Amino acid sequence: MTVFHFFNCALLTFGPHAIYYSATPLSEYDTLGTCIKTAVVYLITALIKLVCLATFLKVTENDSFDPYQELLKALIGFIDVAGLYYAMTQLTHRNISQTHKFQAVGLGWAFADSVLHRLAPLWVGARGLEFTWEYILQGLEANANLVFTVSLASLGSLMWLRKNKPKALIPFIYACAGILATMPSITSYLRRILDWDFPKVVGFELLASVVMAFLSAQLFFACQRRSSI
Amino acid sequence: MAMTKGRQREILESVYSCIALVFIFVACVELCDAATVVDVYRLIQYDISGVPFGSRLARLNHHVAYSPFVPGADLSRAVVIIPIREVNITFLRECITQKKALGGLLLLLPQKFNSESKDDSKEGGHMYKEEGMQNILAELEKLLINAAIPYPVYFAFEDEKIDAILADVKRKDAIGQSPTATTGGYKAVTANPEPKKLAPATITNIQGWLPGLRTDGDTNQLPTIAIVASYDTFGAAPALSVGSDSNGSGVVALLEIARLFSRLYSNPKTRGRYNILFGLTSGGPYNYNGTMKWLRSLDQRVRESIDYAICLNSIGSWNNELWIHVSKPPENAYIKQVFESFSSVAEELGIQVGLKHKKINISNPRVAWEHEQFSRVRVTALTLSELSAAPGLLESTGSLFDSRQFVNDTAVRRSVKLVAESLGRHIYAHPRKNIEIFADGSSLAINPSYIKSWLNLLSQTPRVAPFLSKNEPFISALKKELADHTVEVNVQQDVLDGIFTFYDSTTARLTIYQVVSVAFDLLLLLAVGSYLIMLFSGLVITTRGVDDLIGIFRRPPSRKQKIA
Repeated sequence: MTVFHFFNCALLTFGPHAIYYSATPLSEYDTLGTCIKTAVVYLITALIKLVCLATFLKVTENDSFDPYQELLKALIGFIDVAGLYYAMTQLTHRNISQTHKFQAVGLGWAFADSVLHRLAPLWVGARGLEFTWEYILQGLEANANLVFTVSLASLGSLMWLRKNKPKALIPFIYACAGILATMPSITSYLRRILDWDFPKVVGFELLASVVMAFLSAQLFFACQRRSSI
Repeated sequence: MAMTKGRQREILESVYSCIALVFIFVACVELCDAATVVDVYRLIQYDISGVPFGSRLARLNHHVAYSPFVPGADLSRAVVIIPIREVNITFLRECITQKKALGGLLLLLPQKFNSESKDDSKEGGHMYKEEGMQNILAELEKLLINAAIPYPVYFAFEDEKIDAILADVKRKDAIGQSPTATTGGYKAVTANPEPKKLAPATITNIQGWLPGLRTDGDTNQLPTIAIVASYDTFGAAPALSVGSDSNGSGVVALLEIARLFSRLYSNPKTRGRYNILFGLTSGGPYNYNGTMKWLRSLDQRVRESIDYAICLNSIGSWNNELWIHVSKPPENAYIKQVFESFSSVAEELGIQVGLKHKKINISNPRVAWEHEQFSRVRVTALTLSELSAAPGLLESTGSLFDSRQFVNDTAVRRSVKLVAESLGRHIYAHPRKNIEIFADGSSLAINPSYIKSWLNLLSQTPRVAPFLSKNEPFISALKKELADHTVEVNVQQDVLDGIFTFYDSTTARLTIYQVVSVAFDLLLLLAVGSYLIMLFSGLVITTRGVDDLIGIFRRPPSRKQKIA
């Protein structure tokens, strides 16, 4: 019965990635290679982030909110963005269009993130006899993360791959990208300082992901419309 | 070509073995994620001449049920948890005599009986006077020990976590969900293997010898006085059977008397004309089998030189009255003399001592008092005890309520004073003069901290004989203590007579998990499945158009049409 629960939670956590790949034209254009390459880039980025965190952060005894430490953590979070940049611009992709490229990169990135952060706790915890809501909430969080990553990838492709952007929209693009990049810091702030419990934080993430997806889609289509004109 | 293929195969094999290793490692990782982990102690399991008694199983893997039970609930797959405070003895008796099939039984004792809890109110010798709880526990123990129960029975101590779980179960029962495999609830699991028979119990008797003063030219053997106490216990839960009063109080009194007399006997000027033989015997609950074996092993001359023996049994929780039990008729000269010396000392101390005579029946294998074993080898003996009637087989030998706070330090001290003074007056031939040998404040005063520390030690050591190994540290401690106070110490080891067989597995760790039902997971599967289907359809519609979605479902017929 508990393996059943593990199966359910795994389906919730990793299912959307597979669905996204198969339902959208990504599967038709065979962008699997891009996804895998992005996943590898994510792994390397995660390692670099770990090393930086270990080197630069001090381990505090109490759980107080040290602004300097949080700032440092946010800065290290930007290494994520650098990784995405590298994945999108520097890697050689097959001849796929802009829209599909950022989707594939975002998908690969989010899948690698889910596997790295959520597979091990799921395997170890969800198979036991004891029941907690944690793994279902984790699955929902993985869904929100997928949307965040794809939005960030879309804004990234706008920032780095598109040459002619309408001048008025550029600050919006950078602002949305900034919010998305610092989303981990925001959630950790909510969890530790405002003491929100896990279901509340996941709800906020889901809501924010929908909002940010909507915004980035609007920006993307606006730019696309402009360039095609 | 073949070489590359061979190398490829090697690489593949190593990859497979790596993957297999990873899978094995991952499968073995099982973290503990339980709701509650509790130490539980199993009911004793034993056979007398092949007839089974006690709880016959040890493994538990059932749902938790709590009274009041949902009527018609199937309890054969449930662990019934009953706190002793609320137990209904008639209900339990019915369950057991009617051989109702339960999955398991867990009885919760109040924390007060836990010898490991750091409760300061236990010290200071104040007696625990809740008669009701004592009687309930005594009755419960008698019921459980004398029945063969085909499911596991465990004892545990109440704490907040279990109370919280019970409150939750009660709430769920009130709503009307009974514990089965398809509804949620709590599951209790122990991982014990099935109990195995233990090797026959080893009985270790420890004796200490204080020789008396022998003047030159004295060819006869000096007379001996023996002081004996049995130190092992038997109770419903062998891991909890510490027997502070039965017979921890006797052991402590014996050690204190040994200490006092060793001080007197260390100086030849104050050494009496009697040898003193101290005996710590095992096998007490089993018709004093150990005492019999010890007496048989004694040298015949020593045995014949014993004037009389004082057996100590449960002298730790009385108020004002003690009893001397004898098997020789009270008109016997020796008995009269000993009883009179005891009475005179008792009068001075303000204790009432009564004499009880119980004839022994040689054909009856039941030996109710230790002095009866002495009488069977024609040695005069008596038992000093707070019990006025002879206990039955396996009764009053270390029950569940017999923990540290049940024994009164002052009572033990007064018993020691009584025995030591009467002994002293007998040995130094001052039967009626008012000389107090072991006066308070003197160098021979009874040491209350000695008594207290030994009672504390005994209250933390369960001493059921089949579970004591040959080299048990506690037995070595007793031997060393007696060696400190006496001149010669002997240890005699023997095997308990064969009608008793015991089984192992006396303690376990019980983990209580909160589980959800299969129905919940099915619902979850349904929810996740519909979410994924909606996501799939949504994505197909938005990126490829509705026609493509319909096209996915209509492709096979169109192919058939093409062929046709």
